[in-house]
Amino acid sequence: MAAPLLVYLRTMAAFFVVWALVARLTANSVLLPSPLAVFEALFGLAKDLELFFHAGVSFARMVASLVIGSLLAIPLGIAMGLSRKLAQIVDPTIEVLRPISGIAWIPLALFIFGIGNALPLFIMTYAGFFPILLGTIAGVRGVDRRLIDAARTMGVPPRTIVARVVIPAALPSLMVALRLGVAASWTAVVAAELIGAPSGLGYAVEWYRELLATPQVMAFIAMIGVLGYLCDLGVRALSRLFTPWASDARSAP
Amino acid sequence: MNDAALRVMRGLSLPIVLLFAWQASGLASHNVRMPLPTHVVTAAVDLLRSGELPLAILQSLWRVFAGFAVASAIAIPLGLLMGSSRTMERNVDPLVESFRPIAAIAILPLAILWLGTGTAAAVMIVAYAAFFPIVINTVAGAKGVNPTLLRAAATMGLPRLRVIRTVVVPAALPAIGVGLRIGMGVAWTAIVAAELAVGAKAGGGGSGGIGQMMFVFYAYSIELNRIIVCMIAVGLVALALDALLRVALRVLMPWSAR
Repeated sequence: MAAPLLVYLRTMAAFFVVWALVARLTANSVLLPSPLAVFEALFGLAKDLELFFHAGVSFARMVASLVIGSLLAIPLGIAMGLSRKLAQIVDPTIEVLRPISGIAWIPLALFIFGIGNALPLFIMTYAGFFPILLGTIAGVRGVDRRLIDAARTMGVPPRTIVARVVIPAALPSLMVALRLGVAASWTAVVAAELIGAPSGLGYAVEWYRELLATPQVMAFIAMIGVLGYLCDLGVRALSRLFTPWASDARSAP
Repeated sequence: MNDAALRVMRGLSLPIVLLFAWQASGLASHNVRMPLPTHVVTAAVDLLRSGELPLAILQSLWRVFAGFAVASAIAIPLGLLMGSSRTMERNVDPLVESFRPIAAIAILPLAILWLGTGTAAAVMIVAYAAFFPIVINTVAGAKGVNPTLLRAAATMGLPRLRVIRTVVVPAALPAIGVGLRIGMGVAWTAIVAAELAVGAKAGGGGSGGIGQMMFVFYAYSIELNRIIVCMIAVGLVALALDALLRVALRVLMPWSAR
């Protein structure tokens, strides 16, 4: 059997050949440019650093919103996982808000924040918040009660129990939650930037569409995919680093 | 007071406090545009009575179902093939995994370019969004078939397609159901985003649907109360779709109940 890399290259080569043939038949570089034209556009945008500028902006927004989202969701999730009373108070509100997707907030957020950095940050933080919160709650509830009881029996103060018992035990599911959060906020960034931001990958895609520069549009779309994939890879590497004992779940919804 | 009543009271306390705080701060701000819970209720009644909101929801739902049907028609057979043939999986998986990280919304500009700003583009976005969860779960389901059953079928000399139909499909159905549920959730999010973006870029007309309606309220008539009604509607429809699919799956395959 062939090596995985070879199979990968073979499949993608077949895909590019089909694409090139269809592009040749279409013979309309606005509707469907050839793969070569897209690569050319990609190199051109990379040489101008435009590609990296927009990618950097989107990436920075995602990291910032993930940090904000985690700072809000993880402490709340730990508290809700530990205290049934608090969970009963907060849970219905969460369940009412959760089905309203981050994207549905865009018109209202446009009005509140205007076009700029705050809008995508808010949308992405919102989108990433719920998976992180739910994963944290599930992780904390899954902690072996006996570990907490044992620590309590030995007179460990609650703060230390959270830091030394609950968080380490909940860490694997926390990392899975973070991965889902990254996926959710990455989807939201594109939508938010497409509509209401003056920079970033989503904005660039839309900008070049208006210019009918399809090769550039496709180059930026490819960049969205590549960066999304790298983010996922990064979170997986982080979880292997922090939780080397946990198995690496492959697929995410 | 018994436990259940206490629980309900606790659950209601926070929303009630938040709603009162919202209403009080809105009244205190003296801003005409500031949305208020009471105004949201009247806006909801208006939109329901005039038929605008139900119409927009139906329009969006129709697109979601169309795109969802397209996605299922491609993803389920493909997933079954990939899950039951190792060669097929190895060769097609790179393509699926290469496109999966590209968010559905990112291809919206291409969809507009190819199909215009109408229903066809929206259906394409929905189909693209729903495709990946369905195909991935179908593959997982088809690969999870008990190998003894497959060997038994092979021993009895069943042809490949027959094996897929009589052995693989029934065993993979619960996993396919999970894929369909996730796919439906993603599809509904995608349609709102697609209509919103089309509304934002195409300058209003031509599209319809709930996302478009929200954008019109934002850009042209600046009615925040109505935007909030739409947001609540988006959430309710998401819940209803998930409940509907869950019930349908339970009725269709009672053996997969968890």
